[in-house]
Amino acid sequence: MTWIDFPLYSSITGILWTAGLLFLLISYKKQQLFKFANVLLVLGWIALIVFVVKLWIELDRPPMRTLGETRLWYATFLPLIGFITYIRWKYKWFLAYSIAMAGMFLAINYLNPETYSKTLMPALQSPWFIPHVLVYLFSYAVLAASSIVAIKGWYDSYKGNFNIETLKLADNLVYIGFAFLTLGLLFGALWAKEAWGHYWTWDPKEVWAFLTWMGYLIYIHYRHFHSNKTKQALTILALAFVVLLVCWFGVNYLPVANTSVHTYTN
Amino acid sequence: MTRMSEDNFKVQRNLWENPWGYVESFFIGFGLMITGFFLEVFVASDTPFTVAYPYNIIFLIGYVALLVVLYKWFSNTQVIRWLTKVPASISSISLVTLLVMIMGIIPQVASESNFVNNLGLNKITSNWAFLLILFQFLTCLGLISIKRIAQFKWSNVGFILNHVGLFLALTAGMLGTGDLQRLSINTYEGKPSWIAIDAQKNQVELPFAFYLKDFIIDEYHPKLALVDNKTGTIAQNNGKNLYLIEKGETYYFQNFEVTVDEYFETSGRIGNRYHFVNELGAPPSAKITVKNTTNDSIQNAWISSGSFSHPYESLKISDAYSMVMTIPEIKKFSSDIDILTKDGERISTVLEVNKPFKFRGYKIYQLSYDDKMGKWSDLSVLELVRDPWLPVIYIGIFMMIAGAIYMFWMGNKITKNQ
Ligand code: HEM
Repeated sequence: MTWIDFPLYSSITGILWTAGLLFLLISYKKQQLFKFANVLLVLGWIALIVFVVKLWIELDRPPMRTLGETRLWYATFLPLIGFITYIRWKYKWFLAYSIAMAGMFLAINYLNPETYSKTLMPALQSPWFIPHVLVYLFSYAVLAASSIVAIKGWYDSYKGNFNIETLKLADNLVYIGFAFLTLGLLFGALWAKEAWGHYWTWDPKEVWAFLTWMGYLIYIHYRHFHSNKTKQALTILALAFVVLLVCWFGVNYLPVANTSVHTYTN
Repeated sequence: MTRMSEDNFKVQRNLWENPWGYVESFFIGFGLMITGFFLEVFVASDTPFTVAYPYNIIFLIGYVALLVVLYKWFSNTQVIRWLTKVPASISSISLVTLLVMIMGIIPQVASESNFVNNLGLNKITSNWAFLLILFQFLTCLGLISIKRIAQFKWSNVGFILNHVGLFLALTAGMLGTGDLQRLSINTYEGKPSWIAIDAQKNQVELPFAFYLKDFIIDEYHPKLALVDNKTGTIAQNNGKNLYLIEKGETYYFQNFEVTVDEYFETSGRIGNRYHFVNELGAPPSAKITVKNTTNDSIQNAWISSGSFSHPYESLKISDAYSMVMTIPEIKKFSSDIDILTKDGERISTVLEVNKPFKFRGYKIYQLSYDDKMGKWSDLSVLELVRDPWLPVIYIGIFMMIAGAIYMFWMGNKITKNQ
């Protein structure tokens, strides 16, 4: 069992990341410390990558076949997306967010050792699986953040001190999140074609992912052409997020649920 | 702001007066939808409407040519100006969303409600209302794409990738269904097969034959489960994350310590124990030792998951619980086949889920097998898909992927310009 080393490596990563996140937090007051935080985060990430590489070599196959292994990949790639997004957009809190999410996946693995060998069904054993889930995770996180910003916007305009900068931040987050959402849909289509010969079957989860996409599409176009109708824009953003929540949590409760290939509870 | 949009001025305007805005757009949109529902109730037939080669190609070329002509020579007419403006797009995007939402709520299967059946709410994708709205949607998308291509600037690259990509993927996806051929074929170990079945259950003779050399299923080890004697359900972890049986390992269930002393992947009971045998339907089995840690009593027994030809065996370890071996789950299944052509060629390949094989314009997929026989199935069902529009759809999809990356990198233009 090569997972034997996991507690060691994940603890190293966990400690380095916790320290890194602390310094990142302090760096909001003392900017110099941000470099130091970055070093810790990168070191933690390297420890994780070393573990993945070792696991891969020892298993002699890409570690992509069990539930535990998929979580390991999420934990490895989330920081990468976080770093790239940081390099481009300089959202510090976002880096923290993606590291925290990656840490959460490590923790879930740490607490459920039995999932290291929890098997995946054949259709899920595809190189598309991880990118597909990963970009969705990321996209939902960014779009959720845009909604938090929108709530702030609403609260501010209720108080009468609405600042257009708030909405601009929301705009940018929607653009980033929407780009990832598009990638998620398209990767899903390419994968489905590879696995079943269909791009798109209007499966309930696909329907709601499409609706989410359309919701944000309306927002993007509305904002672009009516940049001073802020109240309406905020309303559209809130509605789009409701659709997203239905897609993420609610599909299983709708009358259409039992016709979905996306529910893997067996 | 670099752009002046109409709503920056408060102009008093009457309905249907120049230029049309949101009210008119939704008016037209709902008009299309209601027309569609009328068609659905009074004229629709049950067969979904598709066009096949060459009509779909002619339609696509004609449609794009028409859009170009409309843009070039009629762009100052009321309707075309409306179609290239945002209200027409937003209303059509919203109404497509509305209809898809119906699809996301009402199951798309035969319904008991006459209302649902008559309006075709359980078959939205071929519903006239949906098709008409989608037609407006695509027309908006096509016209603005042509507009931006005609006024090409480098800063429009992202716009063109997104809008043209979506236009291509959607139109090719819809028009392509008429040419999509989907056949399934049953192949049996040691026999050649060349008669496939199409979606309408007609037989189709293939120009080549499949010879199934071997159908292979890899299984995971079976799992060990603690089962409630009364309800017959798994009593640990809500049935999730059970332990895979591994010889020599010890597992803990509440106050029971279970050790696997022996494990056979295929076996048969002979007398009071199992032995390794390799024959049709031989199930896995394991010898386990169960120690009850509250009173130190020890039990020893063989358990087996059974198979289509052998019964299962479990071990009752207390009044409340039994130890059960679950049916092994499938790790992967694959078919080792030869493709035999009329001119005597013989191509060997292995088909597996997620690994289709391309041959003479077909993609060949591993579809299923006889699941009652499980790993002893000598039937393997293959699927052949011919999709001549695939390259166009892929161009569309990859344009959109590039567009999405562009969007991530550039972010929101207005944000940066202001
Ligand atoms: C992949 C999906 C889409 C994305 C990412 C997208 C994104 C955008 C963006 C960012 C703009 C403003 C860009 C600029 O001015 O350079 C825009 C404009 C526009 N979009 Fe989209 N859009 C998409 C789909 C659609 C669809 C489906 C429609 C119509 C049914 C549409 C209609 C329009 C229109 C009418 C404009 C204004 C064009 C103009 O005034 O020249 N878009 N879109």
